[in-house]
Amino acid sequence: MAGEVVPYAVGVAAAFAAVGIFLAAMGFDVPRAYGTILFTSFRTANGFVQTLLKFVPLLLLALAFTVPLAAWKFNIGGEGQLIAGAVGAAAAGILLARLPAPALLPLLLVAGTLGGALWAAVPAWLLYRFGINEILITVLMNFVSFGVLDYVTTEIWPDLAAGHPTTVPIGAGGRLPLLVDSPPLHAGFILALAVAAAVYVYLTRSAAGYELRATGANPRAALLHGIAVRRLFVLALVLGGALAGLAGAIEVAGVHHRLIEGVQSNYLLLSILIGLIAKGSTLAVPVVAFAIAVLDVGARAMQRTMMIPVEVVFVVEGLILVFVLLADVVRRR
Amino acid sequence: MDALEAFARLVMLTLVPYVLAGQGTMLAGRAGVFNVAQEGIMLVGASVGFLGAYLSGGGLLQGMLLAMAVGGLFGLALAYFTTSLKMDQFVVGLALFFIGLALSTLFYRLAIGVTLTPPLIPTLREIPVPGLSRIPVLGEILFRQNALVYGTVLLSLVLYLFLAYTGPGMALRAVGENPMAADSLGINVALTRYVTTVVGSMLIGLAGAYLPMVYTATFTEGMVRGRGWLSIALTFFGGWSPHLIFFGALFFAAVEVLAFRVQVTGVGIPYQLILMLPYLATIAVMLPTFRRLQIPAFLGKNYDRERRLLL
Repeated sequence: MAGEVVPYAVGVAAAFAAVGIFLAAMGFDVPRAYGTILFTSFRTANGFVQTLLKFVPLLLLALAFTVPLAAWKFNIGGEGQLIAGAVGAAAAGILLARLPAPALLPLLLVAGTLGGALWAAVPAWLLYRFGINEILITVLMNFVSFGVLDYVTTEIWPDLAAGHPTTVPIGAGGRLPLLVDSPPLHAGFILALAVAAAVYVYLTRSAAGYELRATGANPRAALLHGIAVRRLFVLALVLGGALAGLAGAIEVAGVHHRLIEGVQSNYLLLSILIGLIAKGSTLAVPVVAFAIAVLDVGARAMQRTMMIPVEVVFVVEGLILVFVLLADVVRRR
Repeated sequence: MDALEAFARLVMLTLVPYVLAGQGTMLAGRAGVFNVAQEGIMLVGASVGFLGAYLSGGGLLQGMLLAMAVGGLFGLALAYFTTSLKMDQFVVGLALFFIGLALSTLFYRLAIGVTLTPPLIPTLREIPVPGLSRIPVLGEILFRQNALVYGTVLLSLVLYLFLAYTGPGMALRAVGENPMAADSLGINVALTRYVTTVVGSMLIGLAGAYLPMVYTATFTEGMVRGRGWLSIALTFFGGWSPHLIFFGALFFAAVEVLAFRVQVTGVGIPYQLILMLPYLATIAVMLPTFRRLQIPAFLGKNYDRERRLLL
């Protein structure tokens, strides 16, 4: 275990040190900036809930990247899949607005999950049928989803009173119940943790998960042992899409209670970063996702109070990734 | 006729970033390094290209050189991590994509800050070719363009001749097709991969710098808008060969110009559909062509001369 944690700790420290030197040279107050980045989440209840609300989509999207990664397929389309899921969930929530909560909420979550899975099925099918590189199509589908999101929020169910492209609210029965009333924390937090646990069990403790990982480790060997490799690629990508779609549904049902433009935030980039820093380990993903959520909330506070651009923290995160990967190389030798 | 002429002229203008980024991707790919950081490198190229020009008082050349230098550094990092340290090419590429995206905004914020009106640079001038620009129609379309339009045509031609007919060009291809055989013939596999990846990334950085210098005169967040990813598609579409990439870029540029035109004039099609058009069109052309495409056999795979089994 120590052998796992030490390189992470060294990588994190080195990344903060490198950026700290740069910030100090620019004339910023580094201790105060780093204090803000690291402790904003823990100083107030509001900050902590903010962090958890960010943690939920980050965790699910990082898993959406990690599950296909186990088969060594790269799902860079989490953004589009999240949007497709949010659109599906909003459609259910608006069209069936009168249903009572016990019916509407599950329907909405299922619609979102299916939306994400369908969105990922396109690159999965193209990979299966034509062998087209999945990185390419998953990314391009993100850009297509932006158009869909804009169309739904401005043409199909627009809320004309809102100043921003937004749909009308979903039915009250579609809202996720609150775990804490003030500041509001929705039950999607529990749902996301349960899903993460299920994904962990699936990937590491089941035969199907083992086949997936075997395919990722050596597709040719897997094929020779009778694993339907190409079908597994499809499964992995669609499963990833379903996870991202669920994230979109939770954003609609738990946070916004409607579909808004920009629902995807910058979650895709951060989730890829999380997946790569965790090196595909489903056990490490929740931990890294929480850490990145802390940094993101802290970075925004730093930008507000100290005028230091939030991108500084992205650079720290990018460096952490590079150092963690480098640690692997060092260990191999 | 006039409308068509204007359209063709714009296509030639819009071609440039696709060709530059496509050829940059191709160059590294033919030696076996699959760069997937284009979007990030183009963004950082757009950012430092703009800043270099702005801070030097409008020196577009300084901006371009800076963008190429920074792009080259990204290429150097990619080559070092993959070729020397044998790290996975996609993982490193995605990490560089992320870092490029972060740096592009960071540099801009640190140098410019938040302003009410965007800071502007002059855009790239047209340079009519003496004599040729007076040919009716064709002169307007081909010979009244900025220097980089001529540059990309020349670059594509040179790359084509270099790869097809020269010794070093063939050596380069051998490294991407069968590094073990190339190595046994005394071709320096690592050096080839370093050079192609660095030069390729310089071209990608320049492709990014073209955007503020021709389209917008300023830098905005995320202004590359997927052109980096599209250039990967273009490279596949062009079968990783320079002349086909050039002609394939005509298609990508035409779709972009068309989408822009329809957006401005509005023909009753929902404009969201127009926004999706370049990406949908790209996916559509990949369908019938992808199977038949030539792909370097060692694309995306690192070479370790100590290993005896080639996978």
